[in-house]
Amino acid sequence: MIATTHPVSPEEVMALADGELSSAEAARVSAHIAGCAECASLAAQLRDTSESLSRWIVPAVSATLEEAVKVAAAKAASDPSPAKSTQKVGPGIWKWNLWATGGRRAIAAFAILLVVGSTIWVLSDQPYKRQRMMTIVAPAPGEPALPRQESRDVAGGLAVMEAIQQPSPQGFASRSFFNGGGAALKDRRSPVVHEKLASTVASSPAPLIARSVSLTIQVRDLGASRAALEALLARHRGYAAQLTVNTGEGLARSLESSLRVPDGELAAAIAEMRGLGQVEVETQSGEEVTQQHADLVARLENSRETEQRLRELLAQRTGKIDEVLQVEEEIDRVRGEIEQMEADQKVLEHRVDFATIELRMMEQYREQLGPQSASLPNQIRNAFVSGLRHGENTLLGILLFVEEAGPTLLIWLVILGVPGFLAWRRYRRMRAKF
Amino acid sequence: MDHRTTADDTIPATKANSMDESIPAVDRQSEARESDEQLMLAFAAGQTDAFTALFVRYKQPLFGFFRRRLADPAQAEELAQETFIAVLRSAASYQPTALFRTFLYAIALKILRAHRRKAAFRATFFGEQPEGHDPAGHSDPVVDLFMREAMAQLNKVDREVLLLREFEQLSYAEIAELLELPLNTVRSRLFRARSALHDLLLAPAPTRTPSAPATEVRA
Repeated sequence: MIATTHPVSPEEVMALADGELSSAEAARVSAHIAGCAECASLAAQLRDTSESLSRWIVPAVSATLEEAVKVAAAKAASDPSPAKSTQKVGPGIWKWNLWATGGRRAIAAFAILLVVGSTIWVLSDQPYKRQRMMTIVAPAPGEPALPRQESRDVAGGLAVMEAIQQPSPQGFASRSFFNGGGAALKDRRSPVVHEKLASTVASSPAPLIARSVSLTIQVRDLGASRAALEALLARHRGYAAQLTVNTGEGLARSLESSLRVPDGELAAAIAEMRGLGQVEVETQSGEEVTQQHADLVARLENSRETEQRLRELLAQRTGKIDEVLQVEEEIDRVRGEIEQMEADQKVLEHRVDFATIELRMMEQYREQLGPQSASLPNQIRNAFVSGLRHGENTLLGILLFVEEAGPTLLIWLVILGVPGFLAWRRYRRMRAKF
Repeated sequence: MDHRTTADDTIPATKANSMDESIPAVDRQSEARESDEQLMLAFAAGQTDAFTALFVRYKQPLFGFFRRRLADPAQAEELAQETFIAVLRSAASYQPTALFRTFLYAIALKILRAHRRKAAFRATFFGEQPEGHDPAGHSDPVVDLFMREAMAQLNKVDREVLLLREFEQLSYAEIAELLELPLNTVRSRLFRARSALHDLLLAPAPTRTPSAPATEVRA
């Protein structure tokens, strides 16, 4: 409109016409306009524009506005609490409300279905998932029937296995059943052994129990407590099968040990151990191994008899070389079984004779004010290296995350982002129109 | 252009919008400004007559405010009604440090923006088309349509500054406060809007065939 080489800017000419200048500025600009044709033309131009705009007439407001506002004013005067808006709800808002209501209903229905479905699924957890195979024991021909109570359950939930051996054309056959799940153990056992087993169990005066105790004690002085423990073991004729002492810097000292004491001394030993400090955890358990032991004894006896018969057979009968070698092989095998069973028997009897105590002693931690083991420069260096390592791990973690989740995020970005962007663009365009 | 005192009598004050009769002349305007605040305070104190006086004074200007920015007269009336109701409810919080006029138009602008956001949202997600121009009730629908189309071609902010200056008669400072713009920005935008509108008004009117659809009116 006007060249900007004048001492007065076009905006100032406009501001003068709008009355927005101070008196001094107005005088200055007016004086310039009086002598400048270009600025005077601009001022006239601005006047014409305003004149044109003034022809844009708005019709008078209707009387309904006045009525509505009067009602609202009267209501406000009588009820100071904020009134609800009287804005007419257009069809768009009504649609949105419908959507919101429908959405809430859909979510509620889905939640109910989810709860009901989950409940049904949980309750339909059929027993078939847990293996409980119960078969009725039928005694083999010629065998005494086994009373029900002989299907024993060992304390602690061990599976009970019984095998009944039936004679077959091959000489030996086995039939087994099991109760409570677990693998079936096929065992070759003659009816004689079975009878002996039954008689052994019937005549056994008391059950054989392998006891074990677990103790966690907090002590004030680990050294003194250790000495007291060793004295205690000596008194009760026990011994330490395994002992470990931890003395890390900045940590409380602790002692972990596996002790053995005679079964008869267990109660007294435990009572004395409780006095070493504050007991935090105590667990006692007993595993009945009567059946195990009796089974071992019977099998051992059977194997010895078998070995004896085989040796007699080897000594008395003569036959082909092959047959002789077979018998010798069988004797070796039976001998190996006997030695293994004897070892198992000793271990089992030792477990019964000597109870196991898993003891853990922890010293109350006291922070020391002494010099640190690591020097200050070393600590600073260690911290710096650790920081670098953490930073490296963080960057690596970010990189791995991007590589791992990147493709998935990209797919979702395309799926959601493109429609979202288009909707946003349309929304902006619509806003600009208004 | 200006109804207030000018330094030079050779620049006469422009005739005000004839329908905005409630905008008084210079001297009375100063009194009315003071009276507006006093009326508002009186209404806040419980005098309902004071609000009635304010309503009579501003019903047409406020309607005109919305009417020039919206194509639908019914919506303009509705929003004017909402504005007065909002003034009713916020009377207790009115501070006499602010001019009543600024207070009123600030509420009007907020209501207008909210209305535009809702309309844009409905148009985007529900496919509703914006209302077309309703020439009913205009004394000169051609002028109305022409002005709306010219205004629609201005920058959004420039347009708002121009309307507030030309029709609501707000000062540069009041416009700056309402639109949250620096004073110099208001001045430059107003000049730009007037220059652009001058060129638009001088431009030849586009020819339109009878079968061509009417241009969407933008206030």
